[in-house]
Amino acid sequence: MTSTTIAHGEPLLQVRNLDKSFGGMKAVDDVTLDLRAGIVTTLVGPNGAGKTTLFNLITGNLARDSGEVEWLGQDIAGGKPHLIARRGIMRTYQDLRLFDSMSVWDNIMSATEYGLLPMPMSSAARHRRKERIEEVLERTGLSDKRDTRALDLAYAERKFLSMARIMATEARLWLLDEPASGLDPNSYERFLKILRDDREAGTTICIIEHNLDIVIGISDRIAFLDRGRLLADAEPDTVLNDPELAKIYFGDQS
Amino acid sequence: MEAYIFNLLNLIAIYGILAVSLNFIIGYAGIYSLAHAVFFGLGAYTSAWVGLNVTPSTFVTIPAAMLVAAIVSLVLALPALRVRGEYFVAASLGLQVIAVTVFSEWKSFTGGIGGVLAIPPVNLFGAEIYQPREFAIVSVIALLIVIAITLALVRSSFGRNLRAIRDSESAAASFGKNVPLIKTVAVVISAALAAVAGALYASFISFINVESFMLDTSVLLMAMVIIGGTGTFLGPLVGAALLLILPSAISYLSFLPQTEIGALQQIIYGLGMTLLMIFRPGGIVGRRSGT
Repeated sequence: MTSTTIAHGEPLLQVRNLDKSFGGMKAVDDVTLDLRAGIVTTLVGPNGAGKTTLFNLITGNLARDSGEVEWLGQDIAGGKPHLIARRGIMRTYQDLRLFDSMSVWDNIMSATEYGLLPMPMSSAARHRRKERIEEVLERTGLSDKRDTRALDLAYAERKFLSMARIMATEARLWLLDEPASGLDPNSYERFLKILRDDREAGTTICIIEHNLDIVIGISDRIAFLDRGRLLADAEPDTVLNDPELAKIYFGDQS
Repeated sequence: MEAYIFNLLNLIAIYGILAVSLNFIIGYAGIYSLAHAVFFGLGAYTSAWVGLNVTPSTFVTIPAAMLVAAIVSLVLALPALRVRGEYFVAASLGLQVIAVTVFSEWKSFTGGIGGVLAIPPVNLFGAEIYQPREFAIVSVIALLIVIAITLALVRSSFGRNLRAIRDSESAAASFGKNVPLIKTVAVVISAALAAVAGALYASFISFINVESFMLDTSVLLMAMVIIGGTGTFLGPLVGAALLLILPSAISYLSFLPQTEIGALQQIIYGLGMTLLMIFRPGGIVGRRSGT
């Protein structure tokens, strides 16, 4: 992972004129967007707006048709997913994709290691990793479930395990795909606290979210996508009070 | 009787190595290979050739066998990187079919259909080991070493990587894991360990031909792993022992009409396997469904 310092609020990841079509349909249409260091950018828009496709293009899960993705000034578009991840860009999936047969502990542990050979670690480093995982378990409320198979967790616990995996990494940019969908309101606070604490610690976060409580509760900026096009990228108040965008998002109710 | 028991023990140890090494890719990487007998055969032919033409020392024949199997396994790794599940089963079946043809036709290396005769026995520092009782020490130690290697691997970060890839390749890649490389290494290790079994088999039996390395052996090995319990430590060993002992054990049942014993043996054996998979889909050692 690179350790280049970027001032708070400066662009960490820059998407430039990104295009992706499936058949004749433009899923991502000439999108230009900055993800700024240390802040939370929320991607909103109706279903099918291209939000997840945009994530897939950034992480290399999908190949772009044209356009650039710059990370710390380097073009990373077209790179392999695991190499992009190693640069410090990690993500969660809407359908979670947990390591179902593994315990909660091993899920989190495995998220932090990618070398082919077991890394020779000093006992101090080993201890630090263990403490980090303990801390992540504590913050996600999964401490008591550390030995439970991911498959056997309740829905909300699975959502938090998906967060726990990314929290344990040293990623500088998190791309979170609907991490709060389906959570009960009691879990919102825990979830928002995780995001706020990690933003405080300097993590840059981009989150796809539908729930307005969460959107209002966490966003520093909101990017609005519709049918592949970026219609707005501004302060939350500006986007949320725009009648045109509300009409697209909630449907024409006049 | 004593020789019979030790013969059986040796076969269980050799097939145990095969089942353990197959379980390594089936149970932890989710790679269902129907070509494991190919690497068993490559190990056997290579060690026989080296034993007859270069040196009978087991410290040379086994590493040579492992090396050749590891290199050829890259041919199997190639489809494993591209396709999953049933598609890979079909791809490995293709390799098995090709290998049988090569084993039957490449006379200078495999002796063709007639096979290779008078293969030198295991030779440790000049001491030849061919008595079943002594050989059992060698084969069991080899089995223990193979178990130790696979256990160490699956309990390390490498094993977690494998299981992570099996559960979700895309998520594994999203955490920086080089999925094709890790799968390739798993296939290569599995093949190299299977070659150890081949080398032991060739030097123990002292005669090999293509019939030991055909599709039915690959199927038998897969049955051992699945019946014993995929992804478990004891499963493949239990499966190997059971499937080797069961056929002869059935023939000792005195109440069965001795003239029909062959057919009855097949029926009991097949029925047992089917019932087992219905009531214990996780295998004998594996976890019960739903727990």
